[in-house]
Amino acid sequence: MELIIILTLNGVATGMLIFLIAAGLSLIFGLMDVLNFAHGALSMWGAYFGIWIYKGLEQFWLHQNPNLLEASWYPWLSMLNFIIGIVAGIFIGSILGLLMEKLLIQPVYGNHIQQILITMGAMLILAEMVKLFWGSNLISAPVPALLDGAWEIGNIVLIKYRITIIAIGLAILTFLLWILHKTKIGLIVRAGVQNKEMVQALGINVKKVFTLVFMLGAGLAALGGVLMAPFMNQVYPTMGLEKQLLAFIVVVIGGMGSVFGSAVAGVIVGITEAFMLYYVPDAALAVNFLLMALILLLRPSGLFGERG
Amino acid sequence: MTNKKVGWLVLIIVGLLLPLFINNQAQLLLFTKIYILAVFAMSYDILLGYTGIISFGHVMFFGIGSYSVSLMLKHGGQSWLNIVIAIIIAIVLSAVISFIVGVLSLRLKSTYYAMITLAFAELFHILSLKWRSLTNGEDGFNFSKYIPDLLKDRLNFYYISLIFLIIIAYFLYRFVNSATGKVLVAIRENEQRAETLGYNILHYKLISSIVAGVVASLSGIMYAISYRYVGSASVFGIDKTIDALLMTIIGGVGTLFGPLLGSGIINIAHELLADLAKVHPIFERWLILFGILYVLIVMFFPKGIMGSLHKYRNSLPLFKIRKSKDG
Repeated sequence: MELIIILTLNGVATGMLIFLIAAGLSLIFGLMDVLNFAHGALSMWGAYFGIWIYKGLEQFWLHQNPNLLEASWYPWLSMLNFIIGIVAGIFIGSILGLLMEKLLIQPVYGNHIQQILITMGAMLILAEMVKLFWGSNLISAPVPALLDGAWEIGNIVLIKYRITIIAIGLAILTFLLWILHKTKIGLIVRAGVQNKEMVQALGINVKKVFTLVFMLGAGLAALGGVLMAPFMNQVYPTMGLEKQLLAFIVVVIGGMGSVFGSAVAGVIVGITEAFMLYYVPDAALAVNFLLMALILLLRPSGLFGERG
Repeated sequence: MTNKKVGWLVLIIVGLLLPLFINNQAQLLLFTKIYILAVFAMSYDILLGYTGIISFGHVMFFGIGSYSVSLMLKHGGQSWLNIVIAIIIAIVLSAVISFIVGVLSLRLKSTYYAMITLAFAELFHILSLKWRSLTNGEDGFNFSKYIPDLLKDRLNFYYISLIFLIIIAYFLYRFVNSATGKVLVAIRENEQRAETLGYNILHYKLISSIVAGVVASLSGIMYAISYRYVGSASVFGIDKTIDALLMTIIGGVGTLFGPLLGSGIINIAHELLADLAKVHPIFERWLILFGILYVLIVMFFPKGIMGSLHKYRNSLPLFKIRKSKDG
């Protein structure tokens, strides 16, 4: 029983991280018909930049005060550094998203082939730039001291960082659903997913909404990246593509354009992966693939999607 | 048409005479590589340039070819029969897999095919990494002692690659100019119209993806024999797909000559930039330069070098790719 709870929590935490990447991917595709192949790279940029800032700040304070590690308030300072790192990661992700949308996607709007090819080019450039700035080797990403360790309830070990990720993921999901269903901009986005020509005909500047959603999606992916780094204890140059793959599986299962679908599918994929990694580690990815293939065959629009 | 024939004839003659002017093995290998990867890029062009569908997982067929020949030779020993068996295995496997991937995703929007091919290719990549007992994972394995002597001679293999290129180019030329090929171009130009005319779009797209997959696996076989080595990153890595993409886009989509031109440019530039890396480390990241070039070409010269040349000459209507909405 304990094992099942632990594995499930692991899976939900992984699922939440993938959800953060997939939500933007799905929303951008639903609204703009653009499948962003650079989404994983944007997420990786968030991770590298955020961790770089976080570790840089740690170094900086340690340099100022060599006895820092013994101070009772050190975990709080470390936490603050991490939060600044997260904000920096989201910032760089959104800025890159903004630049991508303005410079690369808008000029070829309406031509699917060019769009797909160009986001692939963006992925190539972004991934190579990560290697240029930070090198090709993996970089360690420690969990901030405050979130390190675990709570023990009976025999159940709850790793603090994973619980934090789940909490953040749920908060973001609630926030996104609130924006989509309770605000005017959310109304426009939902209407745009259904019929963007109509929205435009009603006098709404769809282009601005596109840019905003693209930035939001990129920012979410970057957040997912930064949070993922301490989860894996490291960042490395192929992580972008790896996680993008899982995000693809998630959006196909959840349905393109559906944020809620991404969350549900993210949790399904995360839990499948956690259990498979424990019992049959080599088949973990294959099972998620089969799941995706099954969905494509039986319900191409995904569990919560409206069109295929 | 005659212009094109003359062009290919000149190319064949240059190809045949080239070894007279090259006396080092490295350059001979470079040209061998250019021919083999040109075939890979041509197969990619069948999808992108002629049918208008994008695959980001084309490398999986390349890798299937590479692994089938190297594993057959390694386990079956040095024999021509094993190469023939490997060719059959590669053709059957790649046809079956491209069929499955196609059935799953070609019914849907074009983005699905791109996404799902990428995902499948990475699955193969991971499989080749994890199945260490068979593939030796990341390190790969060398099988040079199992290759028949005739193929081991660099000069022989250069000519074999050239003949391989010519045969495949001729076959693909016949294919794109056949009735089926014309339907593919029609799908590229306007899918709805082709469908309204009564063509079964899925059926034709499947043919296109199977032909592309099988040809790619053949180029994978040649590649493995020329390097006498297979490793998971070199034959299943996404870099190879990106190479095919770069060669096709830079050379020119929708022409068979374009990918050959692109292959020459990319491989020679690759070689030169690798030398420059000793001068300044920025050249180690040569992919950035190509990435930027690629994005600029997609944005401003979507027809690539060949396409732009043709446009400039205002000839050869086949190569026109209109800015059409694909479904």
